[in-house]
Amino acid sequence: MKTFRIGGVHPNDSKISRNCAIEVLPLPQTVYISMAQHLGAPAKPVVAVGDRVKTGQVIAEPGGFISAFVHSSVTGTVKSIGPRKDLAGNNMTHVEILVEPDEWAEGIDLSDTLVTEIPSDRQFILDRIKNNGVVGLGGATFPAHVKLNPPPGKTAECLILNGAECEPYLTSDNRIMIEQSSRIIIGAAIMKQVLGGCRTVIGIEENKPEAIKAMSDALAELGKCGAAYSGIEVMVLKKKYPQGGEKQLIDAVMGRQVKSMGLPIDVGAVVQNVATSLAVYDAVQKNMPLITNTMTVTGNCLPADRQHNYLFRIGFPLSFVAEQAGGVPQEVSKIISGGPMMGKAVANLDACTVKGSSSLLYMTAEQTVRKQETNCIRCAKCADACPMGLEPFLLNKLARNGMYDALEENGVHDCIECGCCLYTCPANIPLLDTIRLAKGDVIKIIRSRAPKK
Amino acid sequence: MTTTIIWTIAILTVLGGLLAVILFLVAKRFKVEEDPRIDEVEKVMPGANCGGCGFAGCRAFAQSCVEAGNLDSNFCPVGGNDTMKKVAEVLGLEVKEKAPMTAVVRCNGSCENRPVINDYDGLKSCRVKAALYSGDTGCPFGCLGCGDCVAACQFGALSMDTGTGLPVVDQDKCTACGACVKACPKAVIELRNKGPRNMRVFVSCVNKDKGAVARKACKAACIGCGKCAKVCTHEAITVENNVAYIDFTKCKLCKKCVAECPTGAIHAVNFPVIKPKPAPTAAPAATPAPAPVAEPVKKEE
Amino acid sequence: MNKLIVSPSPHIHSKTSTSSLMRDVVIAMLPAVLVSVLFYGWAELEVLLVSVVSCVGLEYLITRFMLKRPNTICDWSAAVTGVLLALNVPSTCPWWIIFTGAVIAIGVAKLTFGGLGQNLFNPAITARVFLLISFPTQMTAWSAPKAGLSLSQVISHAWTGTDFGPDAFTGATPLGLAKEGGSVHMDYLNSLFFNIGGSVGEISALALILGFAYLLVRRVIRPHITLSIWATVIIFSGIFWLINPDKFTDPVFNMLTGGMLLGSIFMATDYVTSPMSPKGGIVFGVGIGLLTMIIRYFGSYPEGMSFSILIMNATVPLLNGWFKSKKFGRA
Repeated sequence: MKTFRIGGVHPNDSKISRNCAIEVLPLPQTVYISMAQHLGAPAKPVVAVGDRVKTGQVIAEPGGFISAFVHSSVTGTVKSIGPRKDLAGNNMTHVEILVEPDEWAEGIDLSDTLVTEIPSDRQFILDRIKNNGVVGLGGATFPAHVKLNPPPGKTAECLILNGAECEPYLTSDNRIMIEQSSRIIIGAAIMKQVLGGCRTVIGIEENKPEAIKAMSDALAELGKCGAAYSGIEVMVLKKKYPQGGEKQLIDAVMGRQVKSMGLPIDVGAVVQNVATSLAVYDAVQKNMPLITNTMTVTGNCLPADRQHNYLFRIGFPLSFVAEQAGGVPQEVSKIISGGPMMGKAVANLDACTVKGSSSLLYMTAEQTVRKQETNCIRCAKCADACPMGLEPFLLNKLARNGMYDALEENGVHDCIECGCCLYTCPANIPLLDTIRLAKGDVIKIIRSRAPKK
Repeated sequence: MTTTIIWTIAILTVLGGLLAVILFLVAKRFKVEEDPRIDEVEKVMPGANCGGCGFAGCRAFAQSCVEAGNLDSNFCPVGGNDTMKKVAEVLGLEVKEKAPMTAVVRCNGSCENRPVINDYDGLKSCRVKAALYSGDTGCPFGCLGCGDCVAACQFGALSMDTGTGLPVVDQDKCTACGACVKACPKAVIELRNKGPRNMRVFVSCVNKDKGAVARKACKAACIGCGKCAKVCTHEAITVENNVAYIDFTKCKLCKKCVAECPTGAIHAVNFPVIKPKPAPTAAPAATPAPAPVAEPVKKEE
Repeated sequence: MNKLIVSPSPHIHSKTSTSSLMRDVVIAMLPAVLVSVLFYGWAELEVLLVSVVSCVGLEYLITRFMLKRPNTICDWSAAVTGVLLALNVPSTCPWWIIFTGAVIAIGVAKLTFGGLGQNLFNPAITARVFLLISFPTQMTAWSAPKAGLSLSQVISHAWTGTDFGPDAFTGATPLGLAKEGGSVHMDYLNSLFFNIGGSVGEISALALILGFAYLLVRRVIRPHITLSIWATVIIFSGIFWLINPDKFTDPVFNMLTGGMLLGSIFMATDYVTSPMSPKGGIVFGVGIGLLTMIIRYFGSYPEGMSFSILIMNATVPLLNGWFKSKKFGRA
């Protein structure tokens, strides 16, 4: 079984909600759609207060080259456009829409039929992906059309579909791979076509046997539909965090390591999440904009019948999602949007779902409160765990003293912020807190120096 | 036995002499020619090497002064006008007097005014906290209370007030080097004119949220109502992005704005007490209070 | 719902903590401790008690009253030092020597440097070397049973009297005998289980290896350092033994005698005083092995393990700088 070569940790995978089928969330009375649902420049609203919008209609245009369209997830009247606090409590422009019954924008195919025939026009596919606001749903929300359009001179040798879902607790990818396997594979075939028919690997961690079976079965079925589906394979990966990290996944699947400060395409790889593949299918085959995604509501403090996987639309207040799931239990002291290793702690439950939302994870104080920091005992467990082969103990020390030259020399800018070092540290030293800051500073220094050379 | 001792002494003496000669020659050979005035200027510098002037240290500052041939763009905030006068004397140059400055904390979000709405559980560092989220109160602009400014201050002029959770500037120790201004990720601290007899008026808030939002997060927030700007007869107050700012070069310390502010966000410090008041908290006249920011004249509404 | 906690990721933490790691080290030493108590009886219990109590007590008193810091006895590191020190002295050692050792270990080697994690030298090794040089007589006098006694006789002697009575003899360790050029006849198979003569922790190779296995299974330590010491010792002594078997002792003898196993398993692998990277660990281990064998064959001391660990401890900062872990995506 394949895996990445350096470091990694083995947290308990806690996939409690793995068997909960995806349920569709009802609509709230008001949605607030954020203009920053993707990496890069925030989108610019193109609607005005008082406008009536239909479901799937464009409400914001890209604000730069690396940016994305945003569509209305509901039908209704725009009540306001202005700052509202996101889940970190910072102000971001949101479009507030009063919800009415759905009335879909023109040109969207709402039928259930599976479209297996893949358009041959590359530009048509890319335009559809771009115009439907598809972004990477693996966490970084990088605009998908940019990634699928490698710069001249670089060719993709392998498209890797990321179904590792190595973060504990999260099960939304698992569920869509079980329930929507054919659509994911068609999405993969579309991306494969765009990239010039390269090898395509769907990487799934071994702890999801149902997903592996469903995807393999669907692949065998679709294999009969034509040549577009040949050269796609399902690869079972070892359960080890961070198997789903982009660089780690490329290492596991292709045995190649992306150079420091390099991009996956440098080693001929393009990585897309399985949820992105699903969005690509919808966008290309159905002209459906990205306004829905799947999220997990889970936690050890919830009973088995209150674990959920939901299909949500963008702009739902998190508090509404929590209410639909039966409210937040009394003992919860931290809510995480995303996985427990890399997710963001929710500071503001009135924040709204965005394209990349993947979970509401409830944690009790006992599970999550950090313990008192003690002396470093130089056990080197952080260095053993680091999947980038860095020395977190050293970087932490250098970062606290602001020694940027040494930090750069020791590769702080290679850090992927996976959290393995802090997870494993027996002395509870907040390694990643200091390293993350130093990484930002050092990358700024490197960038400021680049044009001079 | 005696021979051994004599030999030892002889060899060591010769060796010592030889090395001395070598050292002398090397020192001569590799001597760096520097303008002797740099040394002289450096002597009159405070020697804190704080970097407040924008140079790596006092010597670099001195070098720059000597090389530039004028003192227009160089100023030592730590030594102030006295030091600059001495520097000017050494170099035979002219120097313009600058009003002394001091660091001012523009946040009034004490625990009482600005309730904590979530618990922060990371490294106790404002930078880490600011990179993570808006902070543990409803105000995304104000002081984060982890004391990065205190750590940055080389002169021991800053301390955290455990009662309010805000940093306090000891203006006697503050040299206006600006280290705290750079350290604060929220740009809460500003260098302002020290003012005649340390009297100054400033808006103790940087909240850019709209009035209602700001008020909800903090009782003492500037709500950008503009009353202060209207009442000001010296055009010293501007309201931009829902927050007022007093230009200290124009402010004549009339305190009309202080009386006008509905939330008490404008602070007047170190003013002599005119009317006798029941509250004993007013600052004593003429003597600089050790903690000016902690004692805002709030009762004047 | 409580007030929400907000913190940077990650939001979960492994169950491993400093104290759990140190506790595992103590557990790994238990077989050796049990064997030593079995063979030396009450005297050994007393040694253990004095050593552990004085180490933990000193740690508490010094941190609390001299350094005025939060006390650190709960991290079990002082207990580890205490047990190690007890395993490093003979059972006949008077209590005040052990106490002196504890002062050196905790007070000088550990807390003067800033406590756990900051010390350059392993506290227990520093104490052992200090005692070995200061009290050579007490530290090298071993109460041992005469040859020919059965196992049960040895054990009953240990628990019924402080002495082996008429059957007892106080003698040098096998290594000491070898140094003096005496002929040594050891039953290797027997000495795997019990090998009287030496520090109390050096009795049973099997008990020590059991501890090693436990540490590896629990992933407390990496095997690099220990194995590289063993490999170096076996290869080095093997070569010399093959050249001249009359003058040089054989590899098996060198592996089983003295502090070789105790040192390589429990003292050289101390986190704080060993290199961070596996590569550095191998160099560190090879260094210890070479130095030990050089001291044993050519030095004036019969035993070189503690000296060589101490010497190699000093090279750790250098090794950390030279040998770094392999970075992702870099040749």
